[in-house]
Amino acid sequence: MKRRTSTITVLVLLTLIVLSVAYLLPIYVMLVASLKTPLEISQRRYLIPSGHLQFKNYVQAFQLVRSALINSSIISFSVTLLAAFLGGLGGYWLSRSRSTFAKVLFILVGIALYLPYQVVLIPLVQVMARTKLALTHLGLILSYLILNMPLASVLMGTFFLGMPRELEEAAEVDGANKLQTFFYVITPMALPAYASTAIIIFTQVWNEFLLALTLSTPQTTTIQVKLAEVKGSFVALYNIQMAAALISVFIPLVFFVALGRYFIRGILAGALKG
Amino acid sequence: MKVYRLPRWALAVSLLLIAALALGACAQQTPQVVTKEVEKVVKETVVVTQVVEKVVTKEVEKVVTKEVVVTPTPKPEEKKLEIFHWWTAGGEREAADAMFRVFKEKYPDVEIIENPVAGGGGVSHRVVLQARLSAGLPPDTWQTLGGAELKSYVDGGYLEPLDDLYAELKYKDVIPQPLYNAVTINGHPYVVPLNMHIQNILYYNKKLFDELGLKPPTTYDELVAAAKAIKDAKPKMSPLGLGTKEKWEAAFLFDSILLEEGGPEYYVKLYKGEIDVKTDPTYKKALEKLQALLPYVYPYHSNLTWDESCGLLVSGDSAMVIMGTWAIGYFKSRGWTPGEDFGAVTFPQKPERILLFHPDTYGKAKNAPHPQTVMLWLKTVASPDLQIPTDVIQGGLFARLDIDPKEFPDPIRQELQTYVRNNPQKLILDQHGSIAPFSFTQAYWDAVAAFIADPNVDSTLSTVSDLFQIYDVKTEAAWYQWP
Amino acid sequence: MERVRRWQRKWRRLTWGDVISTAIFLLPLLIFLVVLYGMLVWTFYVSMANWKGTAPNYTFVGLKWYKLMFSLDRFWVDVRNNLKWMILGVIPTTFVALLLAYLLEIGSIPGTETYIRTLILYPVAMSFVVTGTIWSWMYQPDKGVFNTILRALGLDFLTGRFTTDPATATYWLILIFIWQYLGFAVIILQSSFRTAELQEMIEAATVDGAGRLRILFSIIVPNIRGGMLILISLLLISALKVFDIVYVVTFGGPGYSTDVLAFFMFIATFQQHLVALGAGLGVIIFLMAFVVVIPYTIYAFRKWFE
Repeated sequence: MKRRTSTITVLVLLTLIVLSVAYLLPIYVMLVASLKTPLEISQRRYLIPSGHLQFKNYVQAFQLVRSALINSSIISFSVTLLAAFLGGLGGYWLSRSRSTFAKVLFILVGIALYLPYQVVLIPLVQVMARTKLALTHLGLILSYLILNMPLASVLMGTFFLGMPRELEEAAEVDGANKLQTFFYVITPMALPAYASTAIIIFTQVWNEFLLALTLSTPQTTTIQVKLAEVKGSFVALYNIQMAAALISVFIPLVFFVALGRYFIRGILAGALKG
Repeated sequence: MKVYRLPRWALAVSLLLIAALALGACAQQTPQVVTKEVEKVVKETVVVTQVVEKVVTKEVEKVVTKEVVVTPTPKPEEKKLEIFHWWTAGGEREAADAMFRVFKEKYPDVEIIENPVAGGGGVSHRVVLQARLSAGLPPDTWQTLGGAELKSYVDGGYLEPLDDLYAELKYKDVIPQPLYNAVTINGHPYVVPLNMHIQNILYYNKKLFDELGLKPPTTYDELVAAAKAIKDAKPKMSPLGLGTKEKWEAAFLFDSILLEEGGPEYYVKLYKGEIDVKTDPTYKKALEKLQALLPYVYPYHSNLTWDESCGLLVSGDSAMVIMGTWAIGYFKSRGWTPGEDFGAVTFPQKPERILLFHPDTYGKAKNAPHPQTVMLWLKTVASPDLQIPTDVIQGGLFARLDIDPKEFPDPIRQELQTYVRNNPQKLILDQHGSIAPFSFTQAYWDAVAAFIADPNVDSTLSTVSDLFQIYDVKTEAAWYQWP
Repeated sequence: MERVRRWQRKWRRLTWGDVISTAIFLLPLLIFLVVLYGMLVWTFYVSMANWKGTAPNYTFVGLKWYKLMFSLDRFWVDVRNNLKWMILGVIPTTFVALLLAYLLEIGSIPGTETYIRTLILYPVAMSFVVTGTIWSWMYQPDKGVFNTILRALGLDFLTGRFTTDPATATYWLILIFIWQYLGFAVIILQSSFRTAELQEMIEAATVDGAGRLRILFSIIVPNIRGGMLILISLLLISALKVFDIVYVVTFGGPGYSTDVLAFFMFIATFQQHLVALGAGLGVIIFLMAFVVVIPYTIYAFRKWFE
C-alpha cells in the first residue's frame, strides 16, 4: 500500500513538472516579449529578456485596450446574465414538461446546441447591420444570445432534471404558483448550476473573434478584435500586443476564480452522472 | 431569369424580435438616415461649397473655414465624416494621423469618426466593410486599393462616379495615366488616389554588399550570382529573405521573375487571362527559375509575415528581400537609415524598368450619410497638402506628379518619384491592386505560395490554368487597359 | 372519444396564470430558436443563390456553387484536415484529461490541485489571437523557442520544421488545440467524478483490492458517460469550427496545406467576395456538425424523457 502511494506521488510530481513547463513557458515568452523594444522584437530571441525593460509598454497597452475591455465586459457580462437567466427559464420548462411539443422542442434545441456560428454568420450580419443594431453593444449582445441560448437552456435543464420534485410539490401545496415556485424555491438551489453555465457561456463570448470582428465598429470593438489590431499590419508591435494580452487576461481570470468553487461541484455532477 | 427573393416569413420572424429590441438601441444611438428633405439641402449647398472652393484657391485657409461655418442652411448636415481605413499601427497610424490633421486644419468643425480595422493589406477591414455595405449601412468613405478591389465595390453599386470632381480639380492631368486607368471603371473615375506603392523593389543590406564588393542585382541572373556570393561568404545566411504567411508575398517574388521572363506586355496579358498557362513556355520557364532560386531563399518562409521577412535583414539572417515601398518605413522604424544601412533597387530592370504599383484611394459612398463633407474630404485627399506629409510618413510615392520629389527625405523614393515623373507610362498594376479579379487573385496567391513551399511545376501549371478558367479572368479583367 | 374529452377537460382547467407562466418560461427560448433556424434556412438559400461580389444577389442558381466547391482541390484538403482535427483533437485530449483528472483525485499533494487547475485553465481565459502568436513563436524552426531549447540541450536531432512542413503542419496546430482545451476537459471530468454514488462505488472497489487503473476504466469511465459525452461533443464541435488557431498561426499555409473549412469560408466570403460559396461551405460545416450532434441528441433525449 505504502509503495503504491509513493508511486502515485512520483507520478503527480512528474505531471506537475511537465504541465508547469508546458503552460509556464508560453507565459514566460509573453512576459519577456511584452517588455522589449521593437528592435529587440525583430531580433526574434524569444527566450532572452530585454536589455532595457520597457515598462512603459504596459502603460501604452492599457491606454489602447481600455475601451475595448469595457466593451467586452459589457457584452460578455450582459450575455452571460441574460443567457443564464433565460436559459434557466427555458431549461426548467423543458425539464418539467412531458408533452410532444416539449420533445420536438428538445430535439430542435439539441441540434442548435452546438451549431457552429459560421453557419449563420452571413444572415446574422445582414440582420444586425440592416437593423442598425450592429452599431451598438446590443447588436453583439443579441447575436451572442441567439447563438448561446440553446446551450444555456440544456445546461440548466440538465440540472433541474436531477433535482427532486418533492420541494416543488410542497411549494404547490402551500399555494405557490409555478413562477413563485421557480423563483423562490428552485432558483436559490440552482445557484451552482447558474455559476457553471455562466462560466461556460462567458468563456464562449469573451473569446469569440470572428463575429466580433465582422460586426466591429469603433464603439463596440471587443478585446479580441483589439488585441489582433494593436499589433498592426505595418510595424509589428508584438511587445504592445503581449502587454495588452497580459492586462486583459485578468477580467476572465477574476471571474473564474470568483465562480470557480461553484463550478467544480457544478451541474454535471448533479444530473449527468451516467 | 426569375428572381427569387428570400421567403418573407423568414425575414419577418427574424426581424420581429430584433425590431422590438431595436427600440432600446435607438434610444442609445440615433441612426443617421438621409431623408429627402436633407437631399434637397444638399443640392442647395453644393453651389455654396463651389463658391467656397474658389475662395480656397485665392484666400487664406482661415477665411474659408469661417465661410463654411457661416453657411446658412435650414437643416444643416451634421459636420461629421465616417471613414474606414486600415492604417492602424506603427508608421501607418502616424500617416493616418497626419492625414486627418491636414483635414482638421482645413475644416476644424468636422468631427472625424474613424473605424480603423487592422490587417495586412486590409484583410479584416474588408470583412467589416463588406458586412456594412451589403446591409446598406455605408460609411461616408473608405480606403480601397485601385484595380480589382475598387471594381468589386463599383460592381456592387456602392460608389458614386467622381467625373465632376476630377474635372473641377483637373486631377487627371496631374497623376500618371496608368494611375488614372487604375481608378477608372467603365470610363468613370470612382476614387481619389493619394499615393502609389511600388511592388517590385529589392532591398539589400548595404554594409554587407559593400563588404563583399557586390553590386545590387537588377536581373534574375545577377540575383542568383549575388545570392551565391553571399552564401559562399556567409554560409549561415539565407541570402534572399521571404515570408509567405499571408501568401501575396509569394506572388510578389514570382511576379519579379515573370516580369523579366515575359516582359510588360506578357505580364498584362497573363493577368488579363489571355494566356493559356498550361502550355505556355514562358510561364513554365519562370516557375523553373523560381524553383532554382529556392535554395537561396529563407527556408521557413511560411511562418513569417512580410514585416518579419524584412526583419530578417535587420537581424542578419538574410541580405536581400523583395518587398513594396512600404518596407522603407519598416526599416526606418527599426533604426536603419536608407542609403546607409540598406539600399533599394527596382527589380527586375530587364527587358525594361517597369514599376508594378497600386494606389491607396478614397471614394464617395452612394447614400453617404454626410455627402457634403465627403466631397471636402476627397478634395483634401487630392491636394498636395495632404499627400506630402502622409506619403512621406507612410512609405509610398506621391500620386501627384507636380509635387517635388525632393519632398522625400530618402534618396530611394526621390529617385523613384523622379523616374515616375519622367516615365509615367512604365507603371503597371500589381498583385494588390490587381488586374485579375479578387476571387482569382486570392486563390492564385495560395497556388504560388504552395509552389514555393513544395515545388511541383506541372501540377502548379494545371492548378493555375484551372484557376484562370474557374474565376473567368478573361471577362472579369477586360476593364484594364495598358498602356 | 375518450381522448377528446380529456383534451376538453384539460383546456377548461387551463387558467390565465398557466398561460402566462408558460409564456414566461418558454417564449425567450422559443423566439431565439426561431431566429436561429430562420437564419439557418437563409444560409441554405444563399448557398444556392448567385451572390458573388459585394452586393447581395438572391437569384436562384441551384447547385452551381456546390459543383464549383467539389471541383476545388482546396475543398477536399479542408475536409481531410477537418477530419484530422476532429479525431486527433478530441481523442488525445479526452484521454489525457481523464488520466489527469483521476491523478488529481487520488494523489493530489496539498495545494497542487489549485495550482494545476489555474495553470491549465489560463489558456481558456486568454485571447486565442495571442496564444496563437506565442505558439507560432514556439514553432519557428530557425529561432523559435522549441528549437532553441533543444539546440541548447544538445538535442539537435529532435529539432523540427514544425508548421513550415506542409506534410505535418496540421498536427502541430492540433497540438495547440489540445494545449488550449486540456484544462477545460479536466474540469468537466473532475466535476462528473464527484457524485456520491460514484465515490461509494470507488470506495467499495478499493476495499475489494481493485487496482487503480482498473477502477478508472471499469468503474469510473462507465459511470461518467454523461460528462464524457458532453465533453466529447464540445471538443468535436470546437475542432470542427476551428478558425482562430489556423488564422493566427499559419494563415492556412504553407500553400493551403493547413486550411480548414471555417477558414476557407472566411476567405471565400470576405476576401474572394464569393458569398454564395461561403454559405455553401457553411452548410457543409453544419452537415458535419449535425452528424456529430446526433449521438448526443439521441442520448440526451432518452435520458431526458426516460
